[in-house]
Amino acid sequence: MSGSIMIQTDNLTKKFGAAASVDRVALQVREGEIYGFLGPNGAGKTTTLKMLLGLIKPTEGTIRIFGKRLEEHRAYILQRTGSLIESPSYYGHLTGLENMRIMQRLKNAPDRNIDEALHIVRLEQHKHKKVDQYSLGMKQRLGIAMALLSFPKLLILDEPTNGLDPAGIGEIRELIKSLPARYGMTVMLSSHLLSEIEQIADSAGIIHKGRLLFQGSLESLWQKSKTTIQLKTEDNDAAERLLLMKGYKPIQKGHRLQFEHLSDAETAEINRLLVSHHIPVTRIEERKKSLEEMFLALTGKGGSL
Amino acid sequence: MSSTIALEYYKIRRKNIGLMLILFLLVEMTWAFMAISMSIARNPDHAAWEAVLFNISYMNGLFMPIVSAIVVSRICDMEHKGATWKMLAATNVSRTQLYAAKYVCANSLLLIGILAQTALMIGFGWLQKFPGMPFGQFMQFVAGTAAVTLAVAALQQWVSMSVKNQAFALCLGMIGGFFGLTAGLFPASARHLLIWSYYLDLSPTIYVYSEPVGAYAAQPFAFGKMTAVLMMAALSYIAGNIHVNRKEI
Repeated sequence: MSGSIMIQTDNLTKKFGAAASVDRVALQVREGEIYGFLGPNGAGKTTTLKMLLGLIKPTEGTIRIFGKRLEEHRAYILQRTGSLIESPSYYGHLTGLENMRIMQRLKNAPDRNIDEALHIVRLEQHKHKKVDQYSLGMKQRLGIAMALLSFPKLLILDEPTNGLDPAGIGEIRELIKSLPARYGMTVMLSSHLLSEIEQIADSAGIIHKGRLLFQGSLESLWQKSKTTIQLKTEDNDAAERLLLMKGYKPIQKGHRLQFEHLSDAETAEINRLLVSHHIPVTRIEERKKSLEEMFLALTGKGGSL
Repeated sequence: MSSTIALEYYKIRRKNIGLMLILFLLVEMTWAFMAISMSIARNPDHAAWEAVLFNISYMNGLFMPIVSAIVVSRICDMEHKGATWKMLAATNVSRTQLYAAKYVCANSLLLIGILAQTALMIGFGWLQKFPGMPFGQFMQFVAGTAAVTLAVAALQQWVSMSVKNQAFALCLGMIGGFFGLTAGLFPASARHLLIWSYYLDLSPTIYVYSEPVGAYAAQPFAFGKMTAVLMMAALSYIAGNIHVNRKEI
């Protein structure tokens, strides 16, 4: 997280009619990191990414990429940016190779990049086939290859594993993870899948209803998670009665008693109390909120971390 | 810019646009030559270049709007089908340049069609042993037809790029063909508002209906009409370019 800032938005807003699809978003993506842009469907992820690529004009706010303002340095920025937005784009009547050739000429990239990019996404065997005959997964791979073609400094991928089978998802995930180290790329990818972001990204932004609810490293996201202690005894009802009498506030959760904000000393005291009252303790666990729970807390219930 | 234009030709490979254009024009030419041959059989005075120039100009009013609609639609539709306009717009090439490349590509194909048409007309005239060779009138024919096609193609490209469903663009082409064919029936003030009517207006020859029999006559080059057509082409192109480029993807 020490790199210079690659993408910076300030007060970025997009309104369709009166409704704000993206509402005062301030993104900060650092050089060399993988930034996961997380949010449920319709949260404003794609709209934000489209604004970063100049496909949509912001209603308000500014975008700086590579330290330059997008509206003034569009060509400079896009020359150094690869992207895959929504579904892959392709000319179905042309072969995979011909599609790559078009992108290569547009980007003014060397010829050898075509084979290299096709090799990375394992499409070199199918490059002479018309893209109309590709499977959905192959089209997605081609889209990624086209984004990678010029080995850009910045790669923006919108739901890159859409349409891929589990093996393909794993492969693409590993590929994306390797890009910063192998090619010095900065990757910004959006997803509605927490597990995907958790496995790939260094930092994340969580967007919901157009508003950026969290931004920072995944580590800091974890640190925001409140720790709970969960206790399992052979008689939870009796344990709950006893602990309530002693001033503790256990909450029955399934077959467990849960405590918020419990110190080590308090945990030891509770254990001692229960054992001394002949209530055997079968399990004591420290539990952090999963990313999923945190995400739901942020987006679904609007609560804090 | 030249590489963007070259890319347009690269993209239309396997689209068979050239073949379709030739077939369409062959139908038109066959129809026109048959009509002229029958006319000559009825009236030997019609065995002149003017007959060919007038009849082809007249038939172009019907065919060229449709051919233009098809060619432009085929070139633009591929960007809608594979959602590639979004991909192209996210590169360092400006949308204005991409739009211009499409326009140049479509019009160059249509111009080849017009030149092929002209070559067939000359071939027909030689076979029929028409006297003389009116190079000036042929130049006027090519310039007039090309200018009107520039305007029609600009309008077609605007519609084809703005509306995904190409049925609208093709429908506009057919409406254009209808107006192009029936333009002579409209009063001049109304006719001159319709871009497709200029195929006949810029023809180097006219047919004068007079009793007892009509006759072909030379029509001097109409600078005013030519200017009007070129202005319509520029307006349609600029408006389409602005509209398509401002459209959010």
